[in-house]
Amino acid sequence: MKKLLALIMVSMLLLTACSSGASNSTEPEGGSDSNQITIWAWDPKFNIKAIELAKEAYASENPDLKVNVIENAQDDIVQKLNTSLSSGTTKGLPNIVLIEDYRAKSFLQAYPDMFQPLTGSFETEDFVQYKVEATSVDGENYGLPFDTGVTGLYVRTDYLTEAGFSIEDLQNIDWKEYIEIGKKVKEATGKRLLTIDPNELGILRTMIQSAGKWYVKEDGTTPDLANNEALKLSFEIYKELVDNDLMNFHSDWNQFLATFNGGEVATVTTGNWITPSIKAEASQSGKWAVVPHPSLPGMKSVNASNLGGASWYILDVPGKENAVDFLTKTFGSNVDLYQKLVTEIGVIGTYIPATEGEAYKTEDEFFGGQSIISDFSKWAEEIPQVNYGMHTYAIEDILIVAMQNYLGGQDLDKVLEDAQQQAETQIK
Amino acid sequence: MHKIKQIFIYILLSIFTVISIFPFIWMIISATNKSIDVTKGRLLPGTHLVENIQNLLSTVDLVPALINSATISIATTILSLIIASLAGYGFEIYRSKAKDVVFNILLLSMMIPFAALMIPLFRMFGTISQIAPGIGIDTLTSAMLPSITTAFLIFFFRQNTKMFPRELLEAGRIDGLTELGVFFRIYVPTMKTTYAAAAIITFMASWNNYLWPLVVLQSPENHTIPLLISNLGSSNSPDFGIIMTSIVIATLPTALIFFLLQRHFVAGMMGSVK
Amino acid sequence: MIPATTKQNIQPKPRKYNNKFRLKNGLIGWAFISIATVMICLFYFYPMVQALILSFQSGAGTNLQFVGLDNYLRLFTDPAFIAALKNTVIYLIIQVPVMIIFALFISVLLNNKKLKLKGFFRTAIFLPCITSLVAYSVVFKYLFATDGIINKMLINVSLISEPIQWLTDPFWAKVTIIIAITWRWTGYNMIFYLSALQNVDHSIYEAAKIDGANAFQQFFKITIPMLKPIILFTSITSTIGTLQLFDEVMNITKGGPGNATITISQYIYNLSFKYTPDFGYAATVSYAIVIMIVVFSIIQFKVAGDKNA
Repeated sequence: MKKLLALIMVSMLLLTACSSGASNSTEPEGGSDSNQITIWAWDPKFNIKAIELAKEAYASENPDLKVNVIENAQDDIVQKLNTSLSSGTTKGLPNIVLIEDYRAKSFLQAYPDMFQPLTGSFETEDFVQYKVEATSVDGENYGLPFDTGVTGLYVRTDYLTEAGFSIEDLQNIDWKEYIEIGKKVKEATGKRLLTIDPNELGILRTMIQSAGKWYVKEDGTTPDLANNEALKLSFEIYKELVDNDLMNFHSDWNQFLATFNGGEVATVTTGNWITPSIKAEASQSGKWAVVPHPSLPGMKSVNASNLGGASWYILDVPGKENAVDFLTKTFGSNVDLYQKLVTEIGVIGTYIPATEGEAYKTEDEFFGGQSIISDFSKWAEEIPQVNYGMHTYAIEDILIVAMQNYLGGQDLDKVLEDAQQQAETQIK
Repeated sequence: MHKIKQIFIYILLSIFTVISIFPFIWMIISATNKSIDVTKGRLLPGTHLVENIQNLLSTVDLVPALINSATISIATTILSLIIASLAGYGFEIYRSKAKDVVFNILLLSMMIPFAALMIPLFRMFGTISQIAPGIGIDTLTSAMLPSITTAFLIFFFRQNTKMFPRELLEAGRIDGLTELGVFFRIYVPTMKTTYAAAAIITFMASWNNYLWPLVVLQSPENHTIPLLISNLGSSNSPDFGIIMTSIVIATLPTALIFFLLQRHFVAGMMGSVK
Repeated sequence: MIPATTKQNIQPKPRKYNNKFRLKNGLIGWAFISIATVMICLFYFYPMVQALILSFQSGAGTNLQFVGLDNYLRLFTDPAFIAALKNTVIYLIIQVPVMIIFALFISVLLNNKKLKLKGFFRTAIFLPCITSLVAYSVVFKYLFATDGIINKMLINVSLISEPIQWLTDPFWAKVTIIIAITWRWTGYNMIFYLSALQNVDHSIYEAAKIDGANAFQQFFKITIPMLKPIILFTSITSTIGTLQLFDEVMNITKGGPGNATITISQYIYNLSFKYTPDFGYAATVSYAIVIMIVVFSIIQFKVAGDKNA
């Protein structure tokens, strides 16, 4: 009996100790404090660093505001935000949160009135247009655009030379030309053209966005699969890459990095945020270059597209005025900050006035002296704007199954027709 | 004949051991390598362990997270064991039709995926926060409360109590012990191995608990080890050397607890008590 | 449901106490279970009722509307749910019995009094369930990659001539998942058997040996019957665990290729967090699990059904 009492006492002590300790330390975190704001973001080497730089820049003029940056993985932020917002409990919510562009409308529309409109708080014309579209709902702007996921085709110049190509041969090509080059490169070097994760169709997204199309129509809700010529062509190109054994498959991020760090593929087609990972293999310095993203042949399509990218959103909780001030004075207008973002982190923003800065023109020895930042920013301005809508990932999961069926030999029109039907019943 | 049988057992166990231990060893080896070597699947020990540990300590607040995790796990384990064993004992020794109905209803609570309970639970803790902020959202207590009592553990204790020799209880009663006295003086010491097993799995579950702490703990100073590791992997260019080092550090306490407690799994202990 | 089935199993032990003592005893019994009952009502049943109400609603985020039984009807025409259900049942039927037999077998081997290095073997075999999922998924993907160690070994011993597509072929991906779960949870279940085996009186084995019973006879005639309550426990909890399977699939295949390995729990996760959240429908899918588990539990109680179970 005494033992039990002792044990219970100990546990109670532990409980009270940690609860009181925790509540003491957390009190200043609340958004109610007028001189504090809290920000949630992911990726310590990228977004977190960026917000730290912004914090520094802001503090030099507004030393009174305390900015707490809390780091969480992206999936974790999505879970936390959904749980809090849907339970209607605002306690613990941050003032500013980073949300991926593909998910933004889903949050804005699933939790109306929880986000602070930013229309008029900053100059939208100063930002790349596709990004403004991605952060707006019904003409109202809710997000301050952050980085661009502008895509490029990272190529191994040494493999290309071996196959008799030069960088010029790869400028502004379309996917058919890309495949032809790929066949010859494989013949000459034995290396496949690119690597993808079959469980994730990012490559398809980049293909259709280059033609100004998406999984949904302009309204953001009607699935656009069965009669979407860009999507159909993208499916065909994907299959051609597979049939010609030009595609390497990886099943996780780790293998993705290992594939190109290990020199297993001749090109990498993805967003510019992959640059630090490419450069991680220092021994390949000088062997890489970046050329414009391939376009879709035979239709209105540009040599620029997007994969990923995120923007800052302000929650309608106490402290929002401070949050608006913080964002507009940093990412909303500070050209110098954008130069630092480029030189210190490699973040390519979407603020057009910043692209004139010196930092954007820096030549990168790893890429044979190419000014990749300036190239990427140029392409970013060409990215066609599309309405990502609310259902990118739900539809993509349907398309992954559709792709399996198509690769397995089923008729493409039927596969897409089925996917269209399924999407229509699933999405409400 | 006997010798051959013994050798056969050792060979068999060694095979199981190798299969079981391989990823664990790989994890330790990776902690000594640079990130780029980890992604390439290097199987040889490297020389970057110290560097990885230094980088880990400089990028995250490892020690506070370890303390948080330890506090939550130890408190949860102690309380769980007391509450669940009392209940498991109560359900079996004082068995009645009504209690069996209650027991079966309690079992229902195991059957729903936790993801479905998260939002109502969070709303509940939102209300608690207004009444008693000390146990509301963003406190360590809120992270452990839902997992202190599980039907799983009650079920486990009940099933083990079925194997408990009741003569011992009668003996205790004849000696004049109260019902609680019988529980603490006779049942608890006899069921040491059951408690050891329960402690291992409760500690492990609590130490690794992810979803609920993630949602309910907002401030970085309240973060637990699994949340910290999740943050480390959130980058587009994650440092796998650091991640693996943190994982090894995170795994050691559970491994240690298991190793210490498994000694209580001594064959035929009940016989000696009788 | 479960209460009904076990009621038949109850044959209260004859009590020799008088009525007054029985009443007092009854109250004490309730006192023993009171804390646990209150806690579970608070932290499980209250949210479960809320989730049940939610399961009759649908909509994005907080825009929920009552839709009656629509969500439940939607289950029958939802290809992702049907795929998840099929996969989960396959995992269940194949994996749970295999794992339980393995765990029993290993724990009996490890319960050998004369065995040296017992602590080492036990710890080693327990390690998989505490090895971090991150490390574990990376290792598994290396081992089971098309040019991975497993394929190389199998080709070397001429068991196969072509490498198996462990992760990208719908059939083999399921096999990989089953191997992964078994690998991870066998040691975990072993603990329950190991601890329970201590409660088996060793003299029974001694007596059996004298009577000339061999190891197999001892195993089937003594060990299995003595461990019956724990075997029941592990098979029920493993069934529940498999029906709620999430971690392994999420970390190794993400449900792919094309829903070939998706599980119900992963689908709930997708509906709640990956897609635009529809918490109403996600709750419906959760209750589909509850209904299935209740049915399976009834079957297991019946199969094991005797008064000691």
